[in-house]
Amino acid sequence: MDIGRFLLTSITTTALAFVVGMFYAGFRRKITARVQNRVGPPVYQNFIDVVKLWSKKSNITHGVMQHLAPLWQIATSITTLMFIPILVDSTFFVNLTFKGDLIFLLYLMVVGSLGMALGAGEGGNPNSAIGVTRGLTQMIGFEIPWVMALVALMIQHQTTTIVGLMDVQQASGTWLMFSSPFAFLAALLAMPGMFRYSPFDIVGAPAELASGPISEFGGKYLGTLMTNGSIFAFVKLVLYVDIFMGGATNLVLLVVKTFVLYMFPVLWGLVSPRFRTEQSVRFFWGWPLFFGLLGILQAAFL
Amino acid sequence: MVNDKESRKIVDIIQDFARKSSLFVLAYGTGCGAIEIPPTMTSRYDAERFGIRGAATPRQADVLLITGYLATKSLKRVIRAYEQMQNPKYIIGFGSCTINGGMYWDSYNTINRLDMYMPVDVYINGCMPRPEAVIAGFAKLQKLIQAGKADGWERYQNNLEFYRKNQKKIIHNWVMPDYNW
Amino acid sequence: MEQELLDLLVEHFQDRIAGSVKSDKRVEIFTSTSAIEDVLMYAKNVLGYIHLVHFSCVDWIEENEFELMYAIFSPKSKITIMSKVRVDRENPVAPNIDYIWRHANTFEREIREMFGIEFTGLIAEKEMILEDWIEMPPMRRDFDTAEYAKKTFFDRPGREDAQDVRETIIKRTGEELPEFSKKYSR
Repeated sequence: MDIGRFLLTSITTTALAFVVGMFYAGFRRKITARVQNRVGPPVYQNFIDVVKLWSKKSNITHGVMQHLAPLWQIATSITTLMFIPILVDSTFFVNLTFKGDLIFLLYLMVVGSLGMALGAGEGGNPNSAIGVTRGLTQMIGFEIPWVMALVALMIQHQTTTIVGLMDVQQASGTWLMFSSPFAFLAALLAMPGMFRYSPFDIVGAPAELASGPISEFGGKYLGTLMTNGSIFAFVKLVLYVDIFMGGATNLVLLVVKTFVLYMFPVLWGLVSPRFRTEQSVRFFWGWPLFFGLLGILQAAFL
Repeated sequence: MVNDKESRKIVDIIQDFARKSSLFVLAYGTGCGAIEIPPTMTSRYDAERFGIRGAATPRQADVLLITGYLATKSLKRVIRAYEQMQNPKYIIGFGSCTINGGMYWDSYNTINRLDMYMPVDVYINGCMPRPEAVIAGFAKLQKLIQAGKADGWERYQNNLEFYRKNQKKIIHNWVMPDYNW
Repeated sequence: MEQELLDLLVEHFQDRIAGSVKSDKRVEIFTSTSAIEDVLMYAKNVLGYIHLVHFSCVDWIEENEFELMYAIFSPKSKITIMSKVRVDRENPVAPNIDYIWRHANTFEREIREMFGIEFTGLIAEKEMILEDWIEMPPMRRDFDTAEYAKKTFFDRPGREDAQDVRETIIKRTGEELPEFSKKYSR
């Protein structure tokens, strides 16, 4: 693959992730508003927010690490995006697949949060430190069922690549969410924690923690973080669709599948009050962990 | 970039449109008017359809709502919060207490005229202004931003000595960081 | 019941205390700064008036005195005793009672800040509600808040045609304006 084509396709992939993710965030705000009997902002409101944040005339930073933290996060998100097949057997979109990329992704997906933790710590705001502590604690909670689900799939199908799992689904004709239901349940229940939507939004609770880790980030830093959030949401959704729902053969199908999947954390969040940190960890180490164990048992013995 | 109207570039117009359509309000309840903000934001009046939403910290906020009377003690905090906000930033003076002291005009610990201490872009009259009036005030601010006339932050930078003199007149023990952006 | 309580107190403290029954469940006693600690201790430990409801101060500028008012309440008899103490306005010193009720500390700090009354042995920060206050304590009646506000804050012109509430009421009802409030009227 020559470098020009690679650049073009990677930029296209990122732009697609950005646009779709932003619209999803806009739909989330709209759906939240409709559930609360409001009109709600237009679906393109998040684009306006990002443009506004980038057109701020002053951007305060407390040091190099705080300057780098949003960049670190967005770099991680885009790197993750490059390793995930957007469409089945697509020749256009970038997919840097290699043997073991699923294990690699497990590590890569938490690197952004770690960078954010370093950046938030430099601001010196006590709310940031509390938020980071809660975020990392909660991450221990949801990472374990998520890893167990993936390990179950890897054991069952003797492959450590996402493409391998997609090939399995292509060959057998059934999605993994039906052939490995326990692994799917564990991963699905870990999903709201990954998105940090309610009830697992104690990390950035606006009224209690003054938005936690991002409390010292304003202007273009906040804009970058919002961009990163939308890209990363798309990445996670596509990963779930690839692994459990057989991927998508065209963009329309991809959008439909990811949107349906996205509704799960959104709608769950709308009707849930906020968990405290230890409550959310207890939740993740309850049924999701049990389903993860069942998934591994199914993979090993059936 | 907010200079005279004739020389505004297309970029300015786009940026001003974005600023106008996305106002993050710092939820700092200084006085009794803070009770009017929840109905403004929630389902009855739903300010979010105009892009107005709450911000958690001054760093993320665009608009500082001074909701009602301002004690000399909370003035210090408000100045601190205002100076932490990033340019361009706007102040809405809310209620008659911020205009001329309102019913607390002869009180020893509430200021009378907010615009002697901080640059106010829009005043909302009333005691208290109802949510409709609040939304009308926001609409006025949006109109000013779109026209590039909401330049309170520039006035604050240019007349910093004037504002500092007035602020130090009532805050004797001045321990604030310098304002440098 | 109220009269019995008053008799008990007068019998115990003899001439250090005087009082009357104000109304149902209200007993008013007058005492001195030297006796107030004994009275409160006796009421709390012996008679069961365990709750300090309120502790406040009144500025009797005409008599050149401050009046401290301790309202204590017994959940058994449901009677509130209003113990009142006069202190000199020129040299206002009163005994500290925060070892009897811990929360009296807060009241004392507020009274010290707002009226300038010193409580002997009170250990607390000087500043409580006011910050950087350099004038006379603001709740004293000879402190002119309107004058202070005019001097310190900026008046916005346009209030001259505002109607005075007191004069309007007087015109309507025919009451006489009290002497002390004349200086506030326009």
